[in-house]
Amino acid sequence: MVSDINLKEIQRKVYMTFFQDGLWDIFLGLFILGWGLSILTEAAYLPGVSFLGIYFAIWGIKKWLIYPRIGYARFSATSRRRITARFLILGTVVLLLGLLAAVMWSIGTRPQWLADYFPLIFNGMLAAIVCFGAYWARVNRFYLHAALIFLGAVFHLWLGIQWEIGFIGSGGVIVLIGLGILISFLRKYPKMVEEVHSEDRQ
Amino acid sequence: MRTDNNGDQIQEPVTKIDKLIHEPSRYTLMAYLYVVEVADFLFLLRQTGMTWGNLSAHLGKLEAAGYVVIEKEFLGKKPHTTVRLTDGGRNAFEEYRGNMKRVLDNLPAK
Repeated sequence: MVSDINLKEIQRKVYMTFFQDGLWDIFLGLFILGWGLSILTEAAYLPGVSFLGIYFAIWGIKKWLIYPRIGYARFSATSRRRITARFLILGTVVLLLGLLAAVMWSIGTRPQWLADYFPLIFNGMLAAIVCFGAYWARVNRFYLHAALIFLGAVFHLWLGIQWEIGFIGSGGVIVLIGLGILISFLRKYPKMVEEVHSEDRQ
Repeated sequence: MRTDNNGDQIQEPVTKIDKLIHEPSRYTLMAYLYVVEVADFLFLLRQTGMTWGNLSAHLGKLEAAGYVVIEKEFLGKKPHTTVRLTDGGRNAFEEYRGNMKRVLDNLPAK
């Protein structure tokens, strides 16, 4: 029945087109990789640089690679404001988490339990943020990404793998998942050029 | 159709149904355009599974009724067409949904 078409379901379907190409998975994976590399190289600026660099690169790739395949739709101003606000909240929380980590790490005397479990607390908070993102975006595979991030710290604490290697490993796996989704997307949706059917417009 | 003293009352919502929107393909297009601010041809094509010709024909009818605005441009050498619902189209769609709901609500329970 025509009237049964659920507008919310259509809105969700439209919204999901933003995540079906795997680019946001690659974004998250590279960001986590950047975090691992920053610990490894002690270059504190890397997470911030990778966050901004990859974010803007993704919009460029969307325009060049994605829109010619599935087209483009813009949400209403209200929806756009809501999405931007959520992204800004997540970004701010990640930034604060990074600052907190830097401050805690720079304090000379810290409780032993904090020193021991700091990676677990840090990765746990990062994973929680990704879970919030997954919940807001309603993209279930991001819960898997959150679990991978948390596992990086678990492997560090209980298997003795270096913390930064855990980050790099988790980030690498997330990037691979994103690449797999992207390749599948590119195969499913070839580039299309608009046809002109002026004779039909009568 | 039932005919009794309340015949007009029963028929009224049915007669108010906008037949232009009632066609399933056009309803689907209106529904997609209702949830977004603007969409291009390719997006609507992918989402609805219509052919270029079908999509073009249905949008042409909606444009003629003043329900959508179609804007054509060229990105480089490639044609690019965007479509958005007009205020009149948005109101017509809301009215259509309201009328359909009333028609269905008036049906007797099984």
